[in-house]
Amino acid sequence: MSEEGPRPFTVQVSRGYRVGRWEVREPLATGAFGSVYEARRVGPPEPGDPDDLPERAALKFLPTGTRTPRQLRHLKDLAHRELTLHRKLSRPRLIRMYEAVTVDDPGNPALDGATVLVLERAEGSLDQLVERSAPGPVPGAPALLAQICEGLTQLHHAGWVHGDLKPANVLLMPDGGVRLGDFNLAAEMEGTHAYSPAFSTPDYTPPELLWSEVGERGQLIRPTADIWAFGTVAHLLLTGALPLPGASRAARRETLLRYARGDEELRLSPELPDAWREIIADCLSRTHEERAEHSGTALLRRVEAAAGTEPAPKLPRLRPRRKPGKILSTALAAVVVASIGYGVSTLTDTGSGDAGKGKRVDPASYGASELRTDKGIPVEYRKLIVDSAHDCSESAVTPALIAALLKVESNFDPNLSDPAKDEYGIARWTPRVLRYYLPDAQRPKTGNPRPPFPPDVSIPAVGRYLCAIAPQLWTTLPGDRRVLVAAAYLTSFAKVNNAGGVPPKQRPITDRLARYLKEYTPAASS
Amino acid sequence: MFSVIVVPADCRGPDGQFRLEPGQSLRFGRQGPGLAIAHPGVSRSAGQITATATFWTLTNLSRHQTYVVENPEGAGEHIKIAPGRVDAPVPFEFSRLVIPAGDELLGFDVWAPRHDYLDDHEADTGEPTALSFPLDRSKRYFLVLAALCEPRLRGEPHAPLPTVEQVIDRLRPIWPAISRTSVQWNIDYLAVKLRLKPPPEVALSGGRLNGKKESLVSLALRFDLVREDELDIIDKGPQP
Repeated sequence: MSEEGPRPFTVQVSRGYRVGRWEVREPLATGAFGSVYEARRVGPPEPGDPDDLPERAALKFLPTGTRTPRQLRHLKDLAHRELTLHRKLSRPRLIRMYEAVTVDDPGNPALDGATVLVLERAEGSLDQLVERSAPGPVPGAPALLAQICEGLTQLHHAGWVHGDLKPANVLLMPDGGVRLGDFNLAAEMEGTHAYSPAFSTPDYTPPELLWSEVGERGQLIRPTADIWAFGTVAHLLLTGALPLPGASRAARRETLLRYARGDEELRLSPELPDAWREIIADCLSRTHEERAEHSGTALLRRVEAAAGTEPAPKLPRLRPRRKPGKILSTALAAVVVASIGYGVSTLTDTGSGDAGKGKRVDPASYGASELRTDKGIPVEYRKLIVDSAHDCSESAVTPALIAALLKVESNFDPNLSDPAKDEYGIARWTPRVLRYYLPDAQRPKTGNPRPPFPPDVSIPAVGRYLCAIAPQLWTTLPGDRRVLVAAAYLTSFAKVNNAGGVPPKQRPITDRLARYLKEYTPAASS
Repeated sequence: MFSVIVVPADCRGPDGQFRLEPGQSLRFGRQGPGLAIAHPGVSRSAGQITATATFWTLTNLSRHQTYVVENPEGAGEHIKIAPGRVDAPVPFEFSRLVIPAGDELLGFDVWAPRHDYLDDHEADTGEPTALSFPLDRSKRYFLVLAALCEPRLRGEPHAPLPTVEQVIDRLRPIWPAISRTSVQWNIDYLAVKLRLKPPPEVALSGGRLNGKKESLVSLALRFDLVREDELDIIDKGPQP
């Protein structure tokens, strides 16, 4: 294929151009949405500057001006996403932003109003490294992957999804380390998911996002999309080739669709070491649900083990540890309580197994060892509540927790209908959220499920939802794990993580919930 | 993850359509299984449609009849598929498959809404981050979308959306045969093509078309699917 010269820069800025106290030097890189230039600081540090404001930085120009000849509205959204992430989040493996400047230059309509991010200057990006290396594995790939995974974990723990992880967005720093950059498509999670603009880089996109539905807020994206992209990057770095074969992007998309449908198995490169093969196969699991089991810290530990690197420092300190000993012991106590609860539920499982062999099941005492029978929990929902909790292996998800949630949400009213809030049924499900927690057979092919949502639909979905958010909560959070899960159910796990516990606004409702939780839990299992 | 939609002749809504994922096939003929065309002049097993990537292929299983695939927006553009031909590729986004049966012509429609188009940003190599809504700017659906977006692109961001009648009046000079049905058809098709998720309030209340129009326009403006400098298409018509 013939080269037609370098890609034209999306935003053209001439050498010597001044933006605030920065003077533009060499062009560094360009993407579909903006361009990056090297810059030199020409003004002295000002009060309020970080101590380590560098002499050189990278300026990222996003053409968000109102007078650009072809005004691209979506760029504002993309610039806003990147700015918000930088303002809210600073983590060691994420590229750092020093300041943001808006270009004020009415004489230059192409640049006037552009958003300029002043970023840490990187040496280059991973795609350049891949391009310049000889065919086959990229030198130092395992250590690079451990750092990329660390960056992703930092991002996910803070409640964000990257949305566009690929080699071009992994930056190489002068110290040899990597940082994640380019957060134009990043999105802050609401509960277990986020909305991202419907852009994507096809070779790094998981099957469920390929032709996914798009709502007014964009497409729904979850951290497992980044996990898929990580598996793809890992395969590329370790073997020099993308995991799904095909000569063109369209051919690879066909392979992806056949794989997603189950018509084809994953055929990873035979040169992969076993440990990496398992990691990549897990990251490239067909569905979000399968991938969700491998997200988070556990994945990072496996990647570090495979790479032979030192474990990354524990993620992240929640807040100043005024009384470290006390917090630790509370957390430990929560773990002990939780494991006792788990033991009991295992016992009950055996009990219901016996019942299946022919003994009569009495609905009024179903699961009595975990859920009290004398506290007004309607008999007709006991089996649903107990079974839904048992379908989840998370120890914090107990029958009493589900019952307490239903009590505070609807007072067990199966006919609740609250169109103003768009919430329906015994668990106050919002149709657009419920959709993702229905089993495939119950989920409409297109669109959202429509109320009414009877208890036999609502309650198992509560169990699945709790089960999905429980592992996302940091294990170091103090307090009753079950109450934390409930708080995450009512807000989002990121909010609970960031608040270091139940957010103050949720206290009244979680206090009520905790009372019912205590009331519904039999003495023996609490 | 369908890429092809087969619409039987008497079909009046999504319920009667067949949605095929790449690799899936649909047989058609006088009897089921598949798409039944109840006419004595049609072979028991007349043919098969297979979704392949973003296009579809047609197998003509009849012994003597040639099938014609027309492009309804293509000014007479068509291809002929001879008897016994296996997996002939069809390049049109919209197709009408015509089957001669006795002295009648029967048929049904096939849509391929997932065709790819080169994006502004995709002209060069590399691995660009691409907008995932490829639109064919020479199709009528693009005219309808442009007409719907026009008031908000030209002036007020909160201007009321044009009514279907206003869209008809606006487009009639370049599209004389335009009708209420064709505008509504194109709005419905755009919702499928842009993978529009039905907003919850639409599912509940009766204002189906209005909600869909509103969602389409806000999606189109949000992602610059129609830009102000493209609006002259409404006056000049699509450039060949």
